[in-house]
Amino acid sequence: MLFKMEPEMAKMHMKPKKTTTVKRKRWKRGLSIGVMCFIAFFYLFPLLWLFDTSFRPKVEIFNTPPRILQAAPWETFKSYSLNSFDLAINRYQMNQGFLNSVIITVSGILLTLLVCSLAAYAFALLRFKGRNFLFYCILATMMLPATTMLAPLFKVIQSYGLYNKHLGLILLYAASALGVFLLRQYYVRLPVSMIEAAVMDGASKLRIWWWIVLPLGKPALSALAIYQFRYIWNDFLIPMVLLRNRTLHTLPIKLQVMDSVNVAKDYDAIIATGFIAIIIPIFFFLIFQRQFMEGLSGSLKE
Amino acid sequence: MSSIALFRNRRLSSYFKFAKFEPYLFLLPFFALIIAFNVYVYISGAKMAFTDAQGINPGVYIGLDNFKELISDTREFWPAIGRTFYYTFGCLLTQIPAALVLAVILNSTIFGRFRGSLRASFYVPVLMNTVVAALLFRMMFLRDTGMVNWLLGVIGLPGNTNWLYESSLCILLMIVVSFWQWTGYHMVYLLASLQSIDPVIYEVAKLDGASPARTLLQITIPLMRPALTFVSVMSAIGGLMQFEYSFLLFPNAGFGPGKKALTGIPYIYYHAFRSDFRLGYATAAGWILFFIILIFSLLQIRLMGLGKADEIEA
Repeated sequence: MLFKMEPEMAKMHMKPKKTTTVKRKRWKRGLSIGVMCFIAFFYLFPLLWLFDTSFRPKVEIFNTPPRILQAAPWETFKSYSLNSFDLAINRYQMNQGFLNSVIITVSGILLTLLVCSLAAYAFALLRFKGRNFLFYCILATMMLPATTMLAPLFKVIQSYGLYNKHLGLILLYAASALGVFLLRQYYVRLPVSMIEAAVMDGASKLRIWWWIVLPLGKPALSALAIYQFRYIWNDFLIPMVLLRNRTLHTLPIKLQVMDSVNVAKDYDAIIATGFIAIIIPIFFFLIFQRQFMEGLSGSLKE
Repeated sequence: MSSIALFRNRRLSSYFKFAKFEPYLFLLPFFALIIAFNVYVYISGAKMAFTDAQGINPGVYIGLDNFKELISDTREFWPAIGRTFYYTFGCLLTQIPAALVLAVILNSTIFGRFRGSLRASFYVPVLMNTVVAALLFRMMFLRDTGMVNWLLGVIGLPGNTNWLYESSLCILLMIVVSFWQWTGYHMVYLLASLQSIDPVIYEVAKLDGASPARTLLQITIPLMRPALTFVSVMSAIGGLMQFEYSFLLFPNAGFGPGKKALTGIPYIYYHAFRSDFRLGYATAAGWILFFIILIFSLLQIRLMGLGKADEIEA
């Protein structure tokens, strides 16, 4: 009996001490989460301000303190409207810019995936003369950024007859050496047995690519798609140099055009267009969060 | 061995001949594109840099004149290169330490379920268009209506600085915007690398009585060195090639008051497409910038684990 009580007593002795440390820990945890949430809120405040003001009339945009902080938020929501979007669409054809951005981004991504996965498949799984040499050549082109050669790029695209055309941009984006590299790194690790089985069954190389390599390589394809999406959707300098017509402009260029009005600048239209330009990536990010963050770095680490 | 007999079959042997050049067909689309849109651009750039091409005039060969002019230009070109480095290292020295601190904080077990959402909220600016970021921060830095001056006023500091028209502050403002936008990007990468460190190492350090600061300096940072170098090199390349902040953070697309925000790529753009349309001169400037960036991209290629023959053979 006495023997059995001893641990119990020890426990009772320990108990009060333990609860204080637990309490202190919980308090500390709450505090650090609170502080970090506050920092995150402060960090994101410019964005929240942009989201909020895109629905506000022009007179309320530059209120200080921001209109949303002037009264209870639900009361300030009364002035919400879609007027700035109206203005952006009617005066600056923002809808057209949106459509152009979508066309260029979607076709750019699809073409990149097609072209790069074909090349990566050859480098990873086929044997041919000069394979290593050609692969080194591709790696070398990774060191040739497009923007340092802006003037020649402009001239070359012009000489191809692709100046002021979406196609020129799409082809330019599809030539992604990084894409070939990323996919190849993934393809060399694919299970050889499946491919060997397909070879035994007499499948052609093209069939093996389409039916085995592409489906198995989906994670790498989606990483590349996300990388290209961010790059193409947000790219500004190259489209600005290569597209002249207003009807061809993408969203970032629309923003620049709106900004180049010097007298009575329509900041409300700029904010509305900016809202559209960033809500699309944020929307996809919320759905594919893991793929976004792992994306490039994850594939490189493997 | 028996398959050799199969080769006698006419149809099959022609198939194997086809098989010999089939891989090249797979490579063809990509190589056509990369040669047409990347390699050839550089080749024609190599020619153009030695001409006085201007606007639609293709120009004539003028030897090294463009380069001579650039190298002796201490009024515009070298200050632009200097500002590029100022901006690049300013970004590097603020973002990487901040990202590391943030990653270490978020890595602590305290946050539990909140870690994911905190990480995501610091990552959101990364998704943003740099054009939007530049315009958004312009609105915040406006003197009379901007939020920055209002906030400074609230905490009792003088809130009437004319941020956007102060030529000594240009690069600093760009560093601020860049900090806001890209710290989260580095943080996510560093956090991933932190989480791959074996926790046993920390247990041992704790048992040995190492202080948190010492653990950070002597265990965490050395173990994260590959990740830190990689992130730094990526950040440096991004900094050397930045364009949008110079162009759009300041009013009237004028590259800041007195063009004091004109860095490398903006310098090329400005001379090729804005001011005097001197394409040859701008291309020569592009080559100088290219060789500066090349140092960093060679580093990057090495850090990505390329350039090792065995890696290629694998």
